Amino acid sequence: MSNTDVLLMAHLMRRAGFGANKGELDKLVENGYDKTVDYMLDNDPNIPVSEYMIRRYQPDYGASLGSTTNGANWMYRMIWSDFPLREKVALFWHGIFATGYAKLANGKVLHDQIKMLLKHGMGNYQNLLVELSRDPAMIIWLDNCESHKGAINENYGRELLELFSMGTGNYTEEDIKEASRAFTGWTIANSDYMTLKCQRDSVWPYGRLSMHFEYNPDDHDEEEKTFLGETGNFNGEDIIKIICEQKATAKFISRHLYSFFVADEPPVPEWPYKEPNDPEAIEMLSKVYFDSGYDIKEMLRFLFKSDFFKSEDVWNKRVKSPVELVAGTLRLTKEFNRPSRDQYFTTLNAQYMGQWMMSPPSVEGWHWGTEWLDSGTLVERVNFSSSSLGNKDNIGVKEIINNIKSSLDSPIDSEKLVDASLEQLGALSTSENTRSILIDYADSNLDSSEEINDEEIAELLKFVGAMPEYQRS
Amino acid sequence: MTTISSKIKYKNTMGLAAMQGRGFYYPMDLAFDSSEKIYVLGRGHDGDPRGCRIVVMDMNEEYYGTFGSFGNETGQFIWPSSIAVNSKDNLFISDEATNKITVMSKEGNYISSFGEFGSDNGQFDGPNGLAFDHDDNLYVVDHRNGRVQVFDEDGKFIRKFGKPGDLSGELNLPWGITIDSKNNLYIADWGNHRIQEFSNDGDFIKSIGSYGKKDTDLIHPSDVAVDLKGNVFVTDWGNHRFKAFNQNGDLIYSTRGEATLSKWAHDFLNTNIEEKEARSKSKLVFELPGFDKDPHEESSHVEKYFWSPTSITFYKGEIIIVDSNRHRLPVYLVS
Repeated sequence: MSNTDVLLMAHLMRRAGFGANKGELDKLVENGYDKTVDYMLDNDPNIPVSEYMIRRYQPDYGASLGSTTNGANWMYRMIWSDFPLREKVALFWHGIFATGYAKLANGKVLHDQIKMLLKHGMGNYQNLLVELSRDPAMIIWLDNCESHKGAINENYGRELLELFSMGTGNYTEEDIKEASRAFTGWTIANSDYMTLKCQRDSVWPYGRLSMHFEYNPDDHDEEEKTFLGETGNFNGEDIIKIICEQKATAKFISRHLYSFFVADEPPVPEWPYKEPNDPEAIEMLSKVYFDSGYDIKEMLRFLFKSDFFKSEDVWNKRVKSPVELVAGTLRLTKEFNRPSRDQYFTTLNAQYMGQWMMSPPSVEGWHWGTEWLDSGTLVERVNFSSSSLGNKDNIGVKEIINNIKSSLDSPIDSEKLVDASLEQLGALSTSENTRSILIDYADSNLDSSEEINDEEIAELLKFVGAMPEYQRS
Repeated sequence: MTTISSKIKYKNTMGLAAMQGRGFYYPMDLAFDSSEKIYVLGRGHDGDPRGCRIVVMDMNEEYYGTFGSFGNETGQFIWPSSIAVNSKDNLFISDEATNKITVMSKEGNYISSFGEFGSDNGQFDGPNGLAFDHDDNLYVVDHRNGRVQVFDEDGKFIRKFGKPGDLSGELNLPWGITIDSKNNLYIADWGNHRIQEFSNDGDFIKSIGSYGKKDTDLIHPSDVAVDLKGNVFVTDWGNHRFKAFNQNGDLIYSTRGEATLSKWAHDFLNTNIEEKEARSKSKLVFELPGFDKDPHEESSHVEKYFWSPTSITFYKGEIIIVDSNRHRLPVYLVS
């Protein structure tokens, strides 16, 4: 296998998952790039530890009295799934269809939304938008339960068009009103009681209650509506059907996919005024959108196999989001092979770095790219990755250290040690400058007359975790 | 709901969700002392350990206070799992995170502790279910070691039985345990989806249940209780049901749950009128639109259903169930 094959596979696994170690990459390269893409897209992931096991030890991971245990449960899936593409796609949609604890105060309902994204996120986009419109977290978050026949609340209609499908500049204020009328009657069961419990963060009398969609035909506006130039007695499904037929929608979703999986685009509010960085790629993805009947899975298949994705120009250019950084590191260190109280606190690191799962800062979700980095979050990121990779007691770190030792001959050559370390951490590419810093570090800290010990390698891994390249995907 | 025997009837529900004070936050188990006070062991959750405490109450929902707290110090707990009371009214509490059994007075004073991580005699890997036999010997389900260890009241190791596996007499991550009038042991063999009966010496006698969603099946049972007639009561944790079997292992009762408002819950709603009013206009029982036939999800929607029941106790003709995710104690009468 060529080094380029390994580097390309490492790129795929960082973007379509949370990274892979050398052993995993070697197996995947043997299997072949296209087959790996197809396997990830066409098979359910294998998650070796069941939900039963998690709930036995950590009941709040299933019942969600707290505001953060739902995210910690999701993190288990991210670190245990053999191919966490489904998690990655759900994380992608979670950043777009942002709903959060601040308003909902019900971690179970938020968790249920993530499960919906896991189930439908790689399916048909039209179906996904219908499911989203029926999702209790979204209905409360954007007040559709407060939108009534003759007295609409425009929040959901507006964000459906602006943030979830077409982007500004492609519809009118009147279209928002008409879409909102079409979604009247789309509410949740017991909406008064449920919203009151959300407002009060009430767990009484007997803990959280999940919520479910309810269609109230008596509260639905049955009059004729005109939306994006079409007229009829539209219901919500009709509005979504019309939305999905729009070129603007194809472009909007393609640009989101490109920005998340390929290379950072400008923030969404700038999209009406700034052309995509790679208009040809967006054009091709838009074509797949229509050719496949709005199938997200087929768009991803095309994207991962495209030249613009495989191009070395986009490797290691994206700043890992905090969740990507934490999940990727924990997959390497394997420090949680069964439910553990420590996992909860480790997951909170993503929050300290600026990404509180299931509580994005606004309806716009998180701003990605270099906005993840400031002087505070960078320190958190470096401290986290260094301490995890440098802990030789972690099972995965032990394996990495043993693999490094067995791949090197005595006396230890610093250059070979650094290259072996980078390779074991998932074919990590560095600049020549970074590599020379690591080699200098190894030169000055290793006693070449002695057999290298685990502590010395762990210290080097800790140093790698602090390198800028480790923070990138 | 499936009901076969009319000799088991729902009576009432006790408790309330409360992160501190009067109420529970993920209760795991309970035990009675000789004065019929109930000690309800709470776990809390990793994001809020205030629920990690022991609430003292009685069957009339009289509240006597709390003691115990989260932490690593003596008399504190991380992941408390089970509680039992010996003939001297001392409380024994297992902690599957610290691998210790802590002994406390019924007033909540720390007395002693024993146990550490490991697989040697007297060591534990996740101690949970506890029960005393007629001689005041303590049986500890050492769940990740797949065995039961027996100790005297001073915590001195006496003997052990069981090994990990799925054959008769073997155990897979067992949880609750009880001892009947003949000193036989019943263990909720969680990972093998069955209840196993053993002699006091640890010889296998019989097994009830196997994996499945039918009424006669079990999914990950958490605990077991036995009455004087030999009827076996089970918290079918994974099916989120309470089930009863006769001594031949035939199903005699199965219910999804019919919890009602407790005295404490009424108190809460009477002081929170807006919630009471909104609740009174709500339809809290409904036909469910799917949920992939997952009873965990159904229970998260329908408040009266059991949601991860973790413990079951037979006491003077009544069955008290710890309905953990709903932070309450439904009570059933057995005639």
